[in-house]
Amino acid sequence: MKYYIKLSLILLIFCAVASGILAYINTLTAPVIAQRKAKEEIATREALIPNANFTQAQTADGASYFVASNPETQEILGYTFIAAEIGYSSTVQTMVGVDKDFKVLGIKIIDQAETPGLGANCTNDNFTSQYAGMTIENLYVDKDGGAVIALSGATITSRCITNSIRNRIQAVKSDISAGGIQ
Amino acid sequence: MSFVKELSKGIIKDNPIFILVLGMCPTLAVTTSVINALGMGFAATFVLLCSNIIISLIKNITPSKIRIPVYIVVIASFVSIVDMVMAAYLPGLHKSLGLFIPLIVVNCIILGRAEAFASKNNVLLSIADAIGMGLGFTLSLSVIATIREILGAGTWLGIKITPLTYDPMLVAILAPGAFITLGFLMALMNMLKEKK
Amino acid sequence: MGYLGELFVMAMTAIFIQNFVLSRFLGLCPYLGVSKKLDSALGMGMAVIFVMTLASAITFLINKYLLLHFGLMYLQTIAFILTIAALVQFVEMVIQKNAPALYKSLGVFLPLITTNCAVLGVAILNTTAFRSDGTTAYNFFDSVLNGFFSGVGFTVVLLAMAGLRMRLEKADLPKSMQGMPIALILAGIMALAFYGFMGFKI
Repeated sequence: MKYYIKLSLILLIFCAVASGILAYINTLTAPVIAQRKAKEEIATREALIPNANFTQAQTADGASYFVASNPETQEILGYTFIAAEIGYSSTVQTMVGVDKDFKVLGIKIIDQAETPGLGANCTNDNFTSQYAGMTIENLYVDKDGGAVIALSGATITSRCITNSIRNRIQAVKSDISAGGIQ
Repeated sequence: MSFVKELSKGIIKDNPIFILVLGMCPTLAVTTSVINALGMGFAATFVLLCSNIIISLIKNITPSKIRIPVYIVVIASFVSIVDMVMAAYLPGLHKSLGLFIPLIVVNCIILGRAEAFASKNNVLLSIADAIGMGLGFTLSLSVIATIREILGAGTWLGIKITPLTYDPMLVAILAPGAFITLGFLMALMNMLKEKK
Repeated sequence: MGYLGELFVMAMTAIFIQNFVLSRFLGLCPYLGVSKKLDSALGMGMAVIFVMTLASAITFLINKYLLLHFGLMYLQTIAFILTIAALVQFVEMVIQKNAPALYKSLGVFLPLITTNCAVLGVAILNTTAFRSDGTTAYNFFDSVLNGFFSGVGFTVVLLAMAGLRMRLEKADLPKSMQGMPIALILAGIMALAFYGFMGFKI
Protein backbone atom coordinates (compact mmCIF):
# COMPACT_ATOMS: atom_id res chain seq x y z
CA MET A 1 0.00 0.00 0.00
CA LYS A 2 2.74 2.42 0.97
CA TYR A 3 4.48 1.54 -2.30
CA TYR A 4 1.46 2.62 -4.36
CA ILE A 5 1.15 5.83 -2.39
CA LYS A 6 4.81 6.54 -3.10
CA LEU A 7 4.25 5.88 -6.82
CA SER A 8 1.21 8.14 -6.95
CA LEU A 9 3.13 10.87 -5.16
CA ILE A 10 5.97 10.72 -7.66
CA LEU A 11 3.50 10.92 -10.53
CA LEU A 12 1.79 13.83 -8.82
CA ILE A 13 5.09 15.66 -8.49
CA PHE A 14 5.78 15.21 -12.19
CA CYS A 15 2.32 16.56 -13.00
CA ALA A 16 2.77 19.51 -10.68
CA VAL A 17 6.11 20.46 -12.23
CA ALA A 18 4.67 20.09 -15.73
CA SER A 19 1.60 22.17 -14.84
CA GLY A 20 3.78 24.87 -13.36
CA ILE A 21 5.89 25.14 -16.51
CA LEU A 22 2.79 25.22 -18.70
CA ALA A 23 1.18 27.89 -16.53
CA TYR A 24 4.26 30.03 -17.00
CA ILE A 25 4.28 29.61 -20.78
CA ASN A 26 0.58 30.39 -20.78
CA THR A 27 1.15 33.74 -19.09
CA LEU A 28 3.59 34.55 -21.86
CA THR A 29 1.47 33.49 -24.82
CA ALA A 30 -2.13 34.13 -23.80
CA PRO A 31 -1.89 37.92 -23.99
CA VAL A 32 -0.23 37.69 -27.41
CA ILE A 33 -3.06 35.54 -28.71
CA ALA A 34 -5.78 37.77 -27.29
CA GLN A 35 -4.13 40.92 -28.60
CA ARG A 36 -3.73 39.57 -32.10
CA LYS A 37 -7.38 38.52 -32.27
CA ALA A 38 -8.56 41.96 -31.15
CA LYS A 39 -6.24 43.72 -33.59
CA GLU A 40 -7.44 41.56 -36.48
CA GLU A 41 -11.07 42.26 -35.74
CA ILE A 42 -10.50 46.00 -35.53
CA ALA A 43 -8.52 45.95 -38.79
CA THR A 44 -11.26 44.02 -40.58
CA ARG A 45 -13.94 46.40 -39.28
CA GLU A 46 -11.99 49.41 -40.46
CA ALA A 47 -11.44 47.87 -43.88
CA LEU A 48 -15.18 47.33 -44.34
CA ILE A 49 -16.20 50.84 -43.25
CA PRO A 50 -13.21 53.19 -43.36
CA ASN A 51 -12.87 56.46 -41.43
CA ALA A 52 -15.50 55.71 -38.82
CA ASN A 53 -15.94 55.53 -35.08
CA PHE A 54 -17.29 52.24 -33.83
CA THR A 55 -19.65 51.86 -30.88
CA GLN A 56 -20.67 48.46 -29.63
CA ALA A 57 -24.29 47.36 -29.26
CA GLN A 58 -26.14 44.12 -28.66
CA THR A 59 -29.03 42.35 -30.33
CA ALA A 60 -31.70 40.58 -28.30
CA ASP A 61 -29.84 37.26 -28.30
CA GLY A 62 -26.76 38.80 -26.71
CA ALA A 63 -24.57 38.83 -29.80
CA SER A 64 -22.81 42.11 -30.42
CA TYR A 65 -22.63 44.37 -33.43
CA PHE A 66 -20.97 47.72 -34.08
CA VAL A 67 -22.47 51.01 -35.17
CA ALA A 68 -20.15 52.96 -37.44
CA SER A 69 -20.54 56.71 -37.32
CA ASN A 70 -18.77 59.65 -38.92
CA PRO A 71 -16.27 60.96 -36.34
CA GLU A 72 -17.20 64.59 -36.99
CA THR A 73 -20.91 64.67 -37.73
CA GLN A 74 -21.92 61.60 -35.67
CA GLU A 75 -24.02 60.60 -38.66
CA ILE A 76 -24.51 56.84 -38.87
CA LEU A 77 -22.52 55.36 -41.76
CA GLY A 78 -23.52 51.75 -41.26
CA TYR A 79 -23.08 48.67 -39.13
CA THR A 80 -20.61 45.80 -38.82
CA PHE A 81 -21.25 42.43 -37.25
CA ILE A 82 -20.17 38.80 -37.31
CA ALA A 83 -22.49 36.23 -38.87
CA ALA A 84 -21.85 32.62 -37.91
CA GLU A 85 -23.40 29.34 -38.91
CA ILE A 86 -22.33 25.71 -39.23
CA GLY A 87 -21.25 25.01 -42.77
CA TYR A 88 -20.21 21.58 -43.90
CA SER A 89 -17.42 20.72 -41.52
CA SER A 90 -17.02 23.81 -39.37
CA THR A 91 -18.66 27.00 -38.18
CA VAL A 92 -18.05 29.70 -40.75
CA GLN A 93 -17.67 33.18 -39.29
CA THR A 94 -18.15 36.12 -41.61
CA MET A 95 -17.68 39.76 -40.75
CA VAL A 96 -20.21 41.87 -42.64
CA GLY A 97 -20.32 45.60 -43.24
CA VAL A 98 -23.64 47.17 -44.23
CA ASP A 99 -24.59 50.76 -44.89
CA LYS A 100 -27.31 52.56 -42.94
CA ASP A 101 -29.99 51.11 -45.27
CA PHE A 102 -28.72 47.59 -44.60
CA LYS A 103 -27.25 47.12 -48.03
CA VAL A 104 -24.09 45.02 -47.91
CA LEU A 105 -20.87 47.03 -48.32
CA GLY A 106 -18.58 44.03 -48.14
CA ILE A 107 -17.85 40.81 -46.31
CA LYS A 108 -14.78 39.03 -45.05
CA ILE A 109 -14.64 35.37 -44.00
CA ILE A 110 -12.77 35.43 -40.70
CA ASP A 111 -12.98 31.81 -39.60
CA GLN A 112 -13.65 28.57 -41.42
CA ALA A 113 -12.42 25.01 -41.72
CA GLU A 114 -14.37 23.79 -44.74
CA THR A 115 -13.20 21.24 -47.28
CA PRO A 116 -9.99 22.36 -48.95
CA GLY A 117 -10.49 22.97 -52.66
CA LEU A 118 -14.25 23.16 -52.31
CA GLY A 119 -15.89 25.01 -49.42
CA ALA A 120 -12.59 26.51 -48.34
CA ASN A 121 -12.58 28.59 -51.53
CA CYS A 122 -15.19 30.78 -49.85
CA THR A 123 -12.33 33.01 -48.72
CA ASN A 124 -11.48 33.90 -52.31
CA ASP A 125 -12.22 37.44 -53.46
CA ASN A 126 -14.23 36.38 -56.46
CA PHE A 127 -16.72 34.70 -54.13
CA THR A 128 -16.89 37.32 -51.39
CA SER A 129 -16.91 40.35 -53.66
CA GLN A 130 -20.26 39.38 -55.17
CA TYR A 131 -21.99 40.18 -51.86
CA ALA A 132 -21.33 43.91 -52.20
CA GLY A 133 -24.54 45.74 -53.02
CA MET A 134 -26.90 42.94 -51.98
CA THR A 135 -29.90 43.39 -49.75
CA ILE A 136 -32.03 41.02 -47.70
CA GLU A 137 -34.31 40.45 -50.69
CA ASN A 138 -31.68 38.87 -52.94
CA LEU A 139 -29.46 37.36 -50.24
CA TYR A 140 -30.21 33.79 -51.21
CA VAL A 141 -28.13 31.21 -53.04
CA ASP A 142 -29.01 30.98 -56.77
CA LYS A 143 -30.49 27.53 -56.18
CA ASP A 144 -32.88 29.11 -53.66
CA GLY A 145 -33.86 31.91 -56.01
CA GLY A 146 -31.41 34.58 -54.97
CA ALA A 147 -28.49 36.44 -56.49
CA VAL A 148 -25.60 34.69 -54.78
CA ILE A 149 -23.69 32.42 -57.12
CA ALA A 150 -22.73 29.37 -55.07
CA LEU A 151 -19.23 27.89 -55.12
CA SER A 152 -19.03 24.92 -57.43
CA GLY A 153 -19.26 21.72 -55.41
CA ALA A 154 -19.85 23.69 -52.20
CA THR A 155 -23.51 24.60 -52.12
CA ILE A 156 -23.76 23.84 -48.42
CA THR A 157 -20.94 26.19 -47.51
CA SER A 158 -22.27 28.94 -49.81
CA ARG A 159 -25.79 28.55 -48.48
CA CYS A 160 -24.71 28.69 -44.85
CA ILE A 161 -22.68 31.86 -45.39
CA THR A 162 -25.49 33.55 -47.32
CA ASN A 163 -28.17 32.57 -44.81
CA SER A 164 -26.08 33.58 -41.82
CA ILE A 165 -25.50 37.04 -43.33
CA ARG A 166 -29.18 37.49 -44.15
CA ASN A 167 -30.32 36.35 -40.71
CA ARG A 168 -27.89 38.59 -38.92
CA ILE A 169 -28.85 41.63 -40.99
CA GLN A 170 -32.44 40.85 -40.04
CA ALA A 171 -31.56 40.66 -36.35
CA VAL A 172 -29.59 43.91 -36.34
CA LYS A 173 -32.32 45.62 -38.37
CA SER A 174 -34.97 44.61 -35.83
CA ASP A 175 -32.82 45.78 -33.00
CA ILE A 176 -32.27 49.19 -34.58
CA SER A 177 -35.94 49.73 -35.37
CA ALA A 178 -36.85 48.61 -31.85
CA GLY A 179 -34.76 51.41 -30.41
CA GLY A 180 -31.20 50.10 -30.63
CA ILE A 181 -28.65 52.17 -28.77
CA GLN A 182 -30.14 55.62 -29.40
CA MET B 1 30.34 7.35 -35.00
CA SER B 2 27.44 5.87 -33.10
CA PHE B 3 25.79 9.29 -33.01
CA VAL B 4 25.71 9.47 -36.78
CA LYS B 5 24.45 5.92 -37.06
CA GLU B 6 21.51 6.60 -34.75
CA LEU B 7 20.80 9.79 -36.66
CA SER B 8 20.74 8.26 -40.11
CA LYS B 9 18.70 5.18 -39.29
CA GLY B 10 15.58 7.27 -38.79
CA ILE B 11 15.73 8.60 -42.30
CA ILE B 12 15.73 5.42 -44.39
CA LYS B 13 16.28 2.14 -42.59
CA ASP B 14 13.82 2.72 -39.77
CA ASN B 15 11.72 5.39 -41.43
CA PRO B 16 8.78 5.92 -39.06
CA ILE B 17 6.11 6.26 -41.74
CA PHE B 18 7.11 3.84 -44.47
CA ILE B 19 8.94 1.15 -42.50
CA LEU B 20 7.65 1.29 -38.94
CA VAL B 21 4.15 2.40 -40.06
CA LEU B 22 3.68 4.70 -37.08
CA GLY B 23 1.97 8.07 -36.90
CA MET B 24 -0.53 7.34 -39.64
CA CYS B 25 -3.21 9.78 -38.50
CA PRO B 26 -1.23 13.01 -38.97
CA THR B 27 0.41 11.56 -42.10
CA LEU B 28 -2.85 11.38 -43.95
CA ALA B 29 -4.39 14.48 -42.47
CA VAL B 30 -1.71 17.17 -42.78
CA THR B 31 -0.17 16.23 -46.11
CA THR B 32 -2.62 18.37 -48.08
CA SER B 33 0.09 20.96 -48.54
CA VAL B 34 3.85 21.00 -48.13
CA ILE B 35 3.70 23.92 -45.71
CA ASN B 36 1.38 21.99 -43.40
CA ALA B 37 3.59 18.91 -43.69
CA LEU B 38 6.72 20.87 -42.79
CA GLY B 39 4.92 22.57 -39.92
CA MET B 40 3.72 19.31 -38.46
CA GLY B 41 7.08 17.67 -39.07
CA PHE B 42 8.99 20.34 -37.19
CA ALA B 43 6.44 20.48 -34.37
CA ALA B 44 6.62 16.71 -33.92
CA THR B 45 10.43 16.72 -34.17
CA PHE B 46 10.62 19.43 -31.51
CA VAL B 47 8.38 17.43 -29.17
CA LEU B 48 10.29 14.23 -29.93
CA LEU B 49 13.65 15.89 -29.27
CA CYS B 50 12.62 17.53 -25.99
CA SER B 51 10.82 14.50 -24.63
CA ASN B 52 13.66 12.15 -25.61
CA ILE B 53 16.12 14.40 -23.76
CA ILE B 54 14.01 14.69 -20.61
CA ILE B 55 13.06 11.01 -20.52
CA SER B 56 16.66 9.98 -20.99
CA LEU B 57 17.67 12.32 -18.17
CA ILE B 58 15.08 11.02 -15.72
CA LYS B 59 15.25 7.37 -16.73
CA ASN B 60 16.99 6.43 -13.50
CA ILE B 61 14.62 8.17 -11.14
CA THR B 62 11.41 7.00 -12.83
CA PRO B 63 9.89 3.94 -11.16
CA SER B 64 9.26 1.36 -13.83
CA LYS B 65 5.64 0.79 -12.88
CA ILE B 66 4.56 4.35 -13.62
CA ARG B 67 6.93 5.04 -16.48
CA ILE B 68 4.25 5.18 -19.18
CA PRO B 69 2.13 7.81 -17.37
CA VAL B 70 5.30 9.80 -16.66
CA TYR B 71 6.31 9.68 -20.33
CA ILE B 72 2.81 10.78 -21.23
CA VAL B 73 3.02 13.76 -18.88
CA VAL B 74 6.38 14.79 -20.34
CA ILE B 75 5.24 14.43 -23.95
CA ALA B 76 1.89 16.13 -23.29
CA SER B 77 3.67 19.07 -21.66
CA PHE B 78 5.85 19.70 -24.69
CA VAL B 79 2.87 19.29 -26.99
CA SER B 80 0.99 21.90 -24.97
CA ILE B 81 3.98 24.24 -25.18
CA VAL B 82 4.13 23.82 -28.96
CA ASP B 83 0.36 24.41 -29.13
CA MET B 84 0.54 27.65 -27.15
CA VAL B 85 3.59 29.01 -28.96
CA MET B 86 2.09 28.22 -32.37
CA ALA B 87 -1.22 29.82 -31.45
CA ALA B 88 0.62 32.97 -30.45
CA TYR B 89 3.25 33.28 -33.18
CA LEU B 90 2.14 31.10 -36.11
CA PRO B 91 -1.66 31.46 -36.13
CA GLY B 92 -2.12 30.47 -39.78
CA LEU B 93 -0.27 27.17 -39.34
CA HIS B 94 -1.98 26.62 -36.00
CA LYS B 95 -5.36 26.93 -37.70
CA SER B 96 -4.46 24.58 -40.58
CA LEU B 97 -3.05 21.85 -38.35
CA GLY B 98 -5.92 22.31 -35.90
CA LEU B 99 -6.84 19.18 -33.97
CA PHE B 100 -3.63 17.40 -34.99
CA ILE B 101 -1.39 19.58 -32.83
CA PRO B 102 -2.71 18.19 -29.53
CA LEU B 103 -2.90 14.79 -31.24
CA ILE B 104 0.91 14.81 -31.46
CA VAL B 105 0.77 13.45 -27.92
CA VAL B 106 -0.72 10.17 -29.15
CA ASN B 107 1.58 10.01 -32.14
CA CYS B 108 2.94 6.49 -31.70
CA ILE B 109 6.34 7.63 -32.95
CA ILE B 110 7.02 9.78 -29.90
CA LEU B 111 5.81 7.40 -27.21
CA GLY B 112 7.38 4.55 -29.15
CA ARG B 113 10.84 6.14 -29.23
CA ALA B 114 10.56 7.10 -25.56
CA GLU B 115 9.83 3.53 -24.55
CA ALA B 116 12.13 1.78 -27.03
CA PHE B 117 15.12 4.08 -27.00
CA ALA B 118 15.27 7.10 -24.72
CA SER B 119 14.49 5.11 -21.61
CA LYS B 120 17.44 2.85 -22.28
CA ASN B 121 20.13 5.09 -23.72
CA ASN B 122 22.09 8.17 -22.73
CA VAL B 123 21.11 11.72 -23.60
CA LEU B 124 23.45 12.18 -26.55
CA LEU B 125 22.26 9.06 -28.39
CA SER B 126 18.65 9.92 -27.55
CA ILE B 127 19.16 13.30 -29.20
CA ALA B 128 20.53 11.60 -32.32
CA ASP B 129 17.61 9.18 -32.36
CA ALA B 130 15.11 12.00 -32.01
CA ILE B 131 16.64 14.13 -34.75
CA GLY B 132 16.92 11.13 -37.06
CA MET B 133 13.35 9.99 -36.53
CA GLY B 134 12.05 13.54 -36.70
CA LEU B 135 13.88 14.23 -39.95
CA GLY B 136 12.66 10.96 -41.42
CA PHE B 137 9.12 11.82 -40.41
CA THR B 138 9.33 15.37 -41.79
CA LEU B 139 10.94 14.29 -45.06
CA SER B 140 8.38 11.53 -45.60
CA LEU B 141 5.53 13.90 -44.85
CA SER B 142 6.96 16.40 -47.33
CA VAL B 143 7.30 13.80 -50.07
CA ILE B 144 3.67 12.74 -49.66
CA ALA B 145 2.55 16.36 -49.43
CA THR B 146 4.50 17.33 -52.54
CA ILE B 147 2.71 14.68 -54.58
CA ARG B 148 -0.70 15.57 -53.17
CA GLU B 149 -0.29 19.32 -53.44
CA ILE B 150 1.04 19.31 -57.01
CA LEU B 151 -1.60 16.87 -58.23
CA GLY B 152 -4.47 18.27 -56.22
CA ALA B 153 -3.89 22.02 -56.26
CA GLY B 154 -1.18 22.61 -58.84
CA THR B 155 0.99 24.41 -56.32
CA TRP B 156 4.08 23.68 -54.26
CA LEU B 157 4.63 25.60 -51.04
CA GLY B 158 1.68 27.69 -52.17
CA ILE B 159 3.31 28.75 -55.43
CA LYS B 160 1.55 27.74 -58.62
CA ILE B 161 3.90 25.59 -60.65
CA THR B 162 1.69 23.74 -63.09
CA PRO B 163 0.71 25.15 -66.49
CA LEU B 164 -2.53 27.10 -66.49
CA THR B 165 -4.25 24.44 -68.54
CA TYR B 166 -3.80 21.87 -65.78
CA ASP B 167 -7.07 21.29 -63.97
CA PRO B 168 -6.10 20.05 -60.52
CA MET B 169 -7.15 16.56 -59.49
CA LEU B 170 -9.11 17.62 -56.44
CA VAL B 171 -9.36 14.13 -55.02
CA ALA B 172 -5.62 14.16 -54.29
CA ILE B 173 -6.03 16.66 -51.48
CA LEU B 174 -9.20 15.07 -50.19
CA ALA B 175 -9.43 12.02 -47.96
CA PRO B 176 -9.49 9.28 -50.61
CA GLY B 177 -6.45 10.75 -52.32
CA ALA B 178 -4.55 10.61 -49.05
CA PHE B 179 -5.04 6.88 -48.64
CA ILE B 180 -4.39 6.04 -52.27
CA THR B 181 -1.23 8.17 -52.52
CA LEU B 182 0.21 6.62 -49.39
CA GLY B 183 -0.74 3.14 -50.60
CA PHE B 184 1.15 3.54 -53.85
CA LEU B 185 4.15 5.10 -52.12
CA MET B 186 4.32 2.17 -49.71
CA ALA B 187 4.16 -0.25 -52.61
CA LEU B 188 7.04 1.69 -54.17
CA MET B 189 9.04 1.41 -50.94
CA ASN B 190 8.38 -2.33 -50.87
CA MET B 191 9.63 -2.64 -54.44
CA LEU B 192 12.80 -0.72 -53.57
CA LYS B 193 13.34 -2.90 -50.51
CA GLU B 194 13.08 -6.02 -52.65
CA LYS B 195 15.61 -4.76 -55.18
CA LYS B 196 18.19 -4.20 -52.41
CA MET C 1 -35.42 20.82 -34.71
CA GLY C 2 -36.17 18.80 -31.62
CA TYR C 3 -33.61 16.91 -29.63
CA LEU C 4 -34.21 13.59 -31.36
CA GLY C 5 -33.59 15.28 -34.68
CA GLU C 6 -30.33 16.72 -33.34
CA LEU C 7 -29.25 13.25 -32.26
CA PHE C 8 -30.08 11.82 -35.65
CA VAL C 9 -27.95 14.50 -37.32
CA MET C 10 -25.14 13.77 -34.88
CA ALA C 11 -25.29 10.03 -35.54
CA MET C 12 -25.45 10.40 -39.31
CA THR C 13 -22.57 12.86 -39.26
CA ALA C 14 -20.33 10.76 -37.04
CA ILE C 15 -20.99 7.50 -38.85
CA PHE C 16 -21.44 8.50 -42.48
CA ILE C 17 -21.06 12.14 -43.45
CA GLN C 18 -17.86 12.78 -41.51
CA ASN C 19 -16.78 9.28 -40.65
CA PHE C 20 -14.13 9.31 -37.99
CA VAL C 21 -11.68 7.12 -39.89
CA LEU C 22 -12.33 7.82 -43.55
CA SER C 23 -13.03 11.52 -43.29
CA ARG C 24 -11.37 12.78 -40.15
CA PHE C 25 -8.36 10.43 -40.23
CA LEU C 26 -8.75 9.47 -36.58
CA GLY C 27 -8.19 5.94 -35.36
CA LEU C 28 -5.99 4.87 -38.24
CA CYS C 29 -3.33 2.80 -36.47
CA PRO C 30 -5.75 0.17 -35.14
CA TYR C 31 -7.77 0.47 -38.34
CA LEU C 32 -4.80 -0.58 -40.42
CA GLY C 33 -3.40 -2.95 -37.82
CA VAL C 34 -6.31 -4.86 -36.35
CA SER C 35 -8.64 -5.13 -39.28
CA LYS C 36 -7.35 -8.46 -40.54
CA LYS C 37 -9.85 -10.76 -38.87
CA LEU C 38 -13.55 -10.16 -38.40
CA ASP C 39 -13.91 -11.34 -34.79
CA SER C 40 -10.89 -9.50 -33.38
CA ALA C 41 -12.10 -6.44 -35.27
CA LEU C 42 -15.48 -6.73 -33.57
CA GLY C 43 -13.91 -7.11 -30.12
CA MET C 44 -11.67 -4.11 -30.76
CA GLY C 45 -14.60 -2.08 -32.03
CA MET C 46 -16.67 -2.80 -28.95
CA ALA C 47 -13.81 -1.89 -26.65
CA VAL C 48 -13.22 1.37 -28.53
CA ILE C 49 -16.92 2.32 -28.42
CA PHE C 50 -16.92 1.72 -24.69
CA VAL C 51 -13.76 3.74 -24.06
CA MET C 52 -14.83 6.59 -26.36
CA THR C 53 -18.21 6.91 -24.68
CA LEU C 54 -16.81 6.89 -21.15
CA ALA C 55 -13.91 9.15 -22.11
CA SER C 56 -16.32 11.67 -23.63
CA ALA C 57 -18.31 11.72 -20.42
CA ILE C 58 -15.39 12.14 -18.06
CA THR C 59 -13.42 14.61 -20.16
CA PHE C 60 -16.51 16.76 -20.65
CA LEU C 61 -16.96 17.01 -16.89
CA ILE C 62 -13.28 17.72 -16.33
CA ASN C 63 -13.32 20.35 -19.06
CA LYS C 64 -16.43 22.10 -17.81
CA TYR C 65 -15.97 22.01 -14.04
CA LEU C 66 -12.21 22.05 -13.73
CA LEU C 67 -10.48 23.51 -16.76
CA LEU C 68 -12.97 26.16 -17.84
CA HIS C 69 -13.95 27.03 -14.28
CA PHE C 70 -10.40 27.78 -13.18
CA GLY C 71 -9.13 29.08 -16.51
CA LEU C 72 -6.76 26.17 -17.01
CA MET C 73 -7.44 25.49 -20.67
CA TYR C 74 -3.73 25.10 -21.40
CA LEU C 75 -3.78 21.93 -19.27
CA GLN C 76 -6.40 20.34 -21.48
CA THR C 77 -4.04 18.05 -23.40
CA ILE C 78 -2.36 16.69 -20.26
CA ALA C 79 -5.61 16.31 -18.34
CA PHE C 80 -7.41 14.56 -21.17
CA ILE C 81 -4.66 12.12 -22.10
CA LEU C 82 -4.02 11.14 -18.47
CA THR C 83 -7.73 10.57 -18.00
CA ILE C 84 -7.85 8.37 -21.06
CA ALA C 85 -4.76 6.42 -19.98
CA ALA C 86 -6.30 5.80 -16.55
CA LEU C 87 -9.62 4.83 -18.15
CA VAL C 88 -7.98 2.31 -20.48
CA GLN C 89 -6.01 0.84 -17.59
CA PHE C 90 -9.25 0.46 -15.66
CA VAL C 91 -11.09 -1.11 -18.61
CA GLU C 92 -8.16 -3.49 -19.08
CA MET C 93 -8.41 -4.68 -15.47
CA VAL C 94 -12.17 -5.15 -15.74
CA ILE C 95 -11.95 -7.15 -18.97
CA GLN C 96 -9.10 -9.25 -17.62
CA LYS C 97 -11.21 -10.22 -14.65
CA ASN C 98 -14.57 -10.73 -16.31
CA ALA C 99 -13.82 -11.80 -19.89
CA PRO C 100 -10.38 -13.43 -20.01
CA ALA C 101 -10.97 -14.88 -23.47
CA LEU C 102 -11.63 -11.43 -24.90
CA TYR C 103 -8.62 -10.12 -23.01
CA LYS C 104 -6.36 -12.70 -24.62
CA SER C 105 -7.68 -12.14 -28.14
CA LEU C 106 -7.25 -8.36 -27.93
CA GLY C 107 -3.74 -8.80 -26.61
CA VAL C 108 -1.51 -5.77 -26.91
CA PHE C 109 -4.15 -3.76 -28.77
CA LEU C 110 -6.10 -3.05 -25.59
CA PRO C 111 -3.53 -0.76 -23.93
CA LEU C 112 -2.92 0.71 -27.40
CA ILE C 113 -6.41 2.21 -27.27
CA THR C 114 -4.76 4.92 -25.17
CA THR C 115 -2.83 6.12 -28.19
CA ASN C 116 -5.82 5.77 -30.50
CA CYS C 117 -6.24 9.25 -31.99
CA ALA C 118 -9.99 8.68 -32.12
CA VAL C 119 -10.39 8.69 -28.34
CA LEU C 120 -8.41 11.87 -27.64
CA GLY C 121 -9.80 13.27 -30.87
CA VAL C 122 -13.44 12.91 -29.90
CA ALA C 123 -12.74 14.27 -26.41
CA ILE C 124 -11.25 17.45 -27.86
CA LEU C 125 -13.85 17.71 -30.65
CA ASN C 126 -16.63 17.60 -28.07
CA THR C 127 -15.27 20.71 -26.40
CA THR C 128 -15.43 22.74 -29.61
CA ALA C 129 -18.48 21.24 -31.27
CA PHE C 130 -21.70 23.09 -31.96
CA ARG C 131 -25.19 21.89 -32.62
CA SER C 132 -26.73 22.48 -36.02
CA ASP C 133 -27.68 26.08 -35.21
CA GLY C 134 -24.00 26.93 -35.11
CA THR C 135 -23.98 28.54 -31.69
CA THR C 136 -25.13 26.11 -29.00
CA ALA C 137 -22.17 24.17 -27.63
CA TYR C 138 -22.52 20.50 -26.77
CA ASN C 139 -23.84 19.68 -23.31
CA PHE C 140 -23.03 16.53 -21.34
CA PHE C 141 -25.47 14.25 -23.14
CA ASP C 142 -24.47 15.58 -26.56
CA SER C 143 -20.83 14.80 -25.78
CA VAL C 144 -21.48 11.30 -24.48
CA LEU C 145 -23.68 10.42 -27.42
CA ASN C 146 -21.24 11.91 -29.88
CA GLY C 147 -18.53 9.75 -28.32
CA PHE C 148 -20.76 6.72 -28.72
CA PHE C 149 -21.70 7.43 -32.34
CA SER C 150 -18.12 8.22 -33.30
CA GLY C 151 -17.09 4.88 -31.85
CA VAL C 152 -19.83 3.21 -33.87
CA GLY C 153 -18.58 4.98 -37.00
CA PHE C 154 -15.09 3.66 -36.31
CA THR C 155 -16.38 0.13 -35.73
CA VAL C 156 -18.58 0.09 -38.84
CA VAL C 157 -15.64 0.96 -41.04
CA LEU C 158 -13.33 -1.40 -39.14
CA LEU C 159 -15.69 -4.34 -39.71
CA ALA C 160 -16.14 -3.49 -43.38
CA MET C 161 -12.38 -3.35 -43.78
CA ALA C 162 -11.88 -6.65 -41.95
CA GLY C 163 -14.38 -8.42 -44.17
CA LEU C 164 -12.76 -7.02 -47.30
CA ARG C 165 -9.24 -7.88 -46.16
CA MET C 166 -10.23 -11.46 -45.42
CA ARG C 167 -11.25 -11.73 -49.07
CA LEU C 168 -8.02 -10.06 -50.14
CA GLU C 169 -5.98 -12.87 -48.59
CA LYS C 170 -7.09 -15.05 -51.44
CA ALA C 171 -6.39 -12.49 -54.14
CA ASP C 172 -3.38 -12.69 -56.38
CA LEU C 173 -1.43 -9.50 -55.78
CA PRO C 174 2.04 -8.34 -56.80
CA LYS C 175 4.42 -8.82 -53.86
CA SER C 176 5.03 -5.12 -53.27
CA MET C 177 1.31 -4.44 -53.02
CA GLN C 178 0.62 -7.05 -50.37
CA GLY C 179 -0.21 -6.01 -46.85
CA MET C 180 -0.20 -2.30 -46.08
CA PRO C 181 -0.32 -0.82 -49.61
CA ILE C 182 -3.44 -2.64 -50.73
CA ALA C 183 -5.08 -1.97 -47.37
CA LEU C 184 -4.50 1.74 -47.85
CA ILE C 185 -5.79 1.74 -51.41
CA LEU C 186 -8.83 -0.16 -50.22
CA ALA C 187 -9.36 2.45 -47.52
CA GLY C 188 -9.07 5.11 -50.18
CA ILE C 189 -11.79 3.52 -52.27
CA MET C 190 -13.98 3.22 -49.19
CA ALA C 191 -13.35 6.88 -48.42
CA LEU C 192 -14.37 7.69 -51.99
CA ALA C 193 -17.57 5.71 -51.51
CA PHE C 194 -18.32 7.52 -48.26
CA TYR C 195 -17.88 10.78 -50.13
CA GLY C 196 -21.25 10.01 -51.65
CA PHE C 197 -22.73 10.95 -48.29
CA MET C 198 -21.24 14.41 -48.54
CA GLY C 199 -24.20 15.99 -50.22
CA PHE C 200 -26.43 15.15 -47.27
CA LYS C 201 -27.24 18.15 -45.14
CA ILE C 202 -30.04 17.18 -42.83
